[in-house]
Amino acid sequence: MLRLVGRNILRFFIVVLLQVLLLDNVMLGGYLNPYFYILFILLMPFETPWWLQLVSGFLLGLSIDLFTNTLGIHTAATVFMAFMRPYVLNFFAPRDGYEPDTYPRIHYYGLRWFAGYAVILTFMHHVVLFYIEVFHFHDFFSTLLRVILSTIITTSTVIVSQYFIFRK
Amino acid sequence: MRDILWLLKKYNYILVFILLEILAFVLINNHNRYQHSVLVNFNREIAGRLYSRVEGSREYLSLRKNNEVLVLENAELRNRIEELTNLLSDSTVIAAFEADSMALAGTDSTYLFIPARIVHSTYHKQFNYITIDKGRKDGLAADMAVISDEGIVGIILESSAHFSTIIPVINRDFHLSAKVKRNDFTGILQWEGRDHLVADLNEIPYHAEIKVGDTIVTSGYSAIFPEGQFVGTIKEYSLKEGNFYEIKVNLGTDFQRLYYVDVVKNFRQEEQRELESNLN
Repeated sequence: MLRLVGRNILRFFIVVLLQVLLLDNVMLGGYLNPYFYILFILLMPFETPWWLQLVSGFLLGLSIDLFTNTLGIHTAATVFMAFMRPYVLNFFAPRDGYEPDTYPRIHYYGLRWFAGYAVILTFMHHVVLFYIEVFHFHDFFSTLLRVILSTIITTSTVIVSQYFIFRK
Repeated sequence: MRDILWLLKKYNYILVFILLEILAFVLINNHNRYQHSVLVNFNREIAGRLYSRVEGSREYLSLRKNNEVLVLENAELRNRIEELTNLLSDSTVIAAFEADSMALAGTDSTYLFIPARIVHSTYHKQFNYITIDKGRKDGLAADMAVISDEGIVGIILESSAHFSTIIPVINRDFHLSAKVKRNDFTGILQWEGRDHLVADLNEIPYHAEIKVGDTIVTSGYSAIFPEGQFVGTIKEYSLKEGNFYEIKVNLGTDFQRLYYVDVVKNFRQEEQRELESNLN
């Protein structure tokens, strides 16, 4: 249990540092960059208390915001994502529920399951993030296009990471 | 798994979520200049609409008071105009006279306008009357003219201490000398007892050039109405037997929707009457 908490705290710092030091400098096609840090929310254990999910989401977004000088924007998106996670998990639940001692990972539930789960949540996160960033609905569809493209890129990095750094 | 479903039912979950989102938006508002400016604009728009709504209903509730204020102001302004026109004409004419002859003339203004509110009126009878809330105590007396912002209204028939009865244009006993403003041809304004928006102007001679839409004003011959008060516009006209037109006049005053009037007090009415009666 303590080991689990320690591992998650460690993961928290790793994704934040990875995001602000490395990935924020990656610009694909001029204005797309992967928001890899949401991996932390995706990988939180099933049994995480409800309040801790929300607070973790809040702290994660806040950390990113502090580095990118966009206070509140990532926070709003990550809190929303953390809030939606139980509903999405419930939607993707296997017939006899999630097994004890398993984690929401490719290793336990397969690529198909994880991809669906990750794409939905990432999309939700990006919708909030991008629309708060532009903060109006004039360019609704061009913003939506950015949301979709970024979702693809972010999800790809998240999935790839499952085979390398965050395997277990 | 059971845990997940259980927490969904928890109300707290949504409350904490909303709280954290509010916190996030407070941060966004306080630390992001662009989003802040958008929020401020949005807020101003919403607040502005709300305030105008509230103001609108508040205004509606105080309409009566506002009206009274406006009526007073109107009368005040009419008095000023009267004073000023008098001053203007006097100063050119009187320049030839001695200063003390001015003192003899008495008041500076010929006319005084006294605002009044209609307390009762009819408009659908043959002999309509209007009652207003000013009487002898306010200086009103019989034979004073009554006008409104839209046009002439009538003549005071009788005054009690606090009220006066007006015989309006839309009473079959009403007669008034009126003229076509454009060429000064004078006729008699009467009401034939049907439409409260239309009166008749008779005795305009056939050789007068008139057309639909011409303005009809008071002639000022009777010493009751000031000259040039708006009566209405010509609606249609036809040739009567003899050498006179039969003219229908669209009255400026809508007696159905009349609430406030001004009583015209003519300071020189008696003087004029006296002079005219000496002739007979």
